[in-house]
Amino acid sequence: MRVACLRVPDLPLAARLRAEPELAGAPLVIAAAAGSRAEIVSVATAAAREGVRAGQSVAQARTLCAGLVLRTCAPALERGARDALRDAALSFSARTESAPPGTGAYNAEAACFLDASGTGRLFRSESGFATALAARAGALGLPAFVSVASSRTAALLAARAPGDPGDVRVLAPGQEAAWLAPLAVDLADPPDDLAETLTRFGIRRLGELARLPARALATRLGPEALRLAKLARGESDDLPIEVTLQAGFEEATELEAPLERLEPLAFVLRALLGRLTARLEARGLACGELGLDLGLAEGGCEARRVGLAAPTTDLRTLLRLACLALEAHPPRSAVASVGVTTSGTAVRTDQLDLFRPAGPPPALLGRTLAELESLCGAGRVGAPGLPDDLRADAFSLEPFPLTRSSALAPKPASATPVQALRALRPPVAAQVRLSRGTPHWLHSAVANGAVLGCAGPWRTTGSWWSSERFAHDHYDVRTSDGIVSRLRHDRIQRSWHVDGVYD
Amino acid sequence: MLARLGSQVRRGAVSLEPEPRLPSGIPDLDRLLGGGFPYGRLSEISGPSSSGRTSLALSLLAASVRPGGLAAWVDAADAFDPASAAAAGAPLSRVLWVRAPGVAAALRSTERLLEARGLALVLLDLALPGAPPHVAPAAWPRLLRAAQAGSAPLVVLAAGRIAGASATLALELSVVSARFSGTPCLFEGLETQADLVRGRSKPAAGMACVRLDALRTPG
Repeated sequence: MRVACLRVPDLPLAARLRAEPELAGAPLVIAAAAGSRAEIVSVATAAAREGVRAGQSVAQARTLCAGLVLRTCAPALERGARDALRDAALSFSARTESAPPGTGAYNAEAACFLDASGTGRLFRSESGFATALAARAGALGLPAFVSVASSRTAALLAARAPGDPGDVRVLAPGQEAAWLAPLAVDLADPPDDLAETLTRFGIRRLGELARLPARALATRLGPEALRLAKLARGESDDLPIEVTLQAGFEEATELEAPLERLEPLAFVLRALLGRLTARLEARGLACGELGLDLGLAEGGCEARRVGLAAPTTDLRTLLRLACLALEAHPPRSAVASVGVTTSGTAVRTDQLDLFRPAGPPPALLGRTLAELESLCGAGRVGAPGLPDDLRADAFSLEPFPLTRSSALAPKPASATPVQALRALRPPVAAQVRLSRGTPHWLHSAVANGAVLGCAGPWRTTGSWWSSERFAHDHYDVRTSDGIVSRLRHDRIQRSWHVDGVYD
Repeated sequence: MLARLGSQVRRGAVSLEPEPRLPSGIPDLDRLLGGGFPYGRLSEISGPSSSGRTSLALSLLAASVRPGGLAAWVDAADAFDPASAAAAGAPLSRVLWVRAPGVAAALRSTERLLEARGLALVLLDLALPGAPPHVAPAAWPRLLRAAQAGSAPLVVLAAGRIAGASATLALELSVVSARFSGTPCLFEGLETQADLVRGRSKPAAGMACVRLDALRTPG
């Protein structure tokens, strides 16, 4: 088995730079909490050059670096970054697992293992595979180290070797021990007391540790040293990496200050949706339904669910739909945290089909439907339908099918064109004067005057068992202003409306 | 040079190929229009309420989707009646109904649909009650360009002519009579007159009478 390791050395720092890429190159530090006494947990290169180190207080760091850029730990951002790292790995292999959390000097790292067996044939070489994997992680905002070896341990140790993000290391099978030999023992993250002992013995390299006899090592330094020597040789009892079941996608952030207005919230949503769609595209998926989770400043949270006519990764469409959902149902108070979630939907791939009926390709049609929904609102775009309902004005709007039959539809029964009705939504209130129970004068916003022709009534009733019961009498009337309309008398409400105009 | 090229070059040649057109499904009207509504062009159907505009538009819609294509009805007035469309013979699963919340959204939606290409018909319903809809003058040339690029017929439905010079074809409808007859009395439909007031192909003007039959009544 060949194992690849995708490693980000400092997750809090990487997560913050992923959310605020404009801070790249700045003397950025991440503190554990707010306040001048808070401990620094991550230091960017520009700040480290000024002498800032992890473990110092914020106050100490400010004295060393006047232009310090301070941010606090953001668990939501770190979760998103960790998930993005996993998505980068999953985009190459379904056999992916997260590495155990680092300890000691490596407690800020995040790493994934993925089964890289056979990938050399897909990418010409394992080096090509590793380069592509590093590029994918970089595209998701996570510059990472990538290594390929025959065991998880060897791959992780190689990924910890000094270098620059984006570096790839390929350990040929059987050459792991030789490759790891010149590296420092510290890469194996030994316990402090064992590390001190090894230093006293003059053992500073993994190769030196690996050459020690196993029995003597165990006798003098204990089983932990024996385990460390095994790691130094790149050996480990590796079980195969299991196939990972797909989990949902989430990007979230906590706001520095609560937001009440939609415009600044839209900026935050744009950034979140941008990261979300990048992850979806890396996995070859799209967003079919979008969830918005809003944490309120006064406590509690609210959720919004936005359905899409067709899966899409178009940022503009998703942002517009999210904003429309918030405009329609604004949060009851200022928002302190925002999260976007989706389960990820497979993207249709178009194949040339000589027998496909005329029309836009399904993928393009799906994107167009999503854009139309963002323009018109959710639930306003689709195929019309006629539900099983006795109401004369009943209709439904169904999701528009992206694939359909090419069968020729039968011609209508009548050779002459059919008289159509223009619906009035909502129906327009009318005042009606009756003569012998028949309308003889009508006043409304759409039809006025004496009734010159009248047909009806036609009675429809239904839903008598529920609160939606109705009883309508319909008339087709022509008024003196030339309008032919459909008049409705609601026998329960005792009201008159014009609910359509024949046109 | 022209002598060397000989018969390979024709100066001032006019294409003899007839412009493809989408039939409306109404023979008398198609004869008036020279075959139907032109592809890749903007056409107008205008007239007051109860003049037969919507019936004509639905007949065109049904004729466009029956062979298997897709059509879109961009509805700024929210007046589309699925029952009428079904009665006209349009398979509803092939009709994309866009219930635009206003004129601006309707225009943008129309442009997106034309950019998608491949649609058999895009119909923009701007027959809103009350005052004529306000459409920026620059919108019509833009829609015309989108229609030309998308090769779909774009038909605009309105109370009056609003597309100006961007419309290749303009039909004005007026009601002749409304038929109420029989015992019990039934509304049998409208008789409407369609006047071709603008057309770039012959005939340049003319009229046709269209009889509409009511097939469905409530209850």
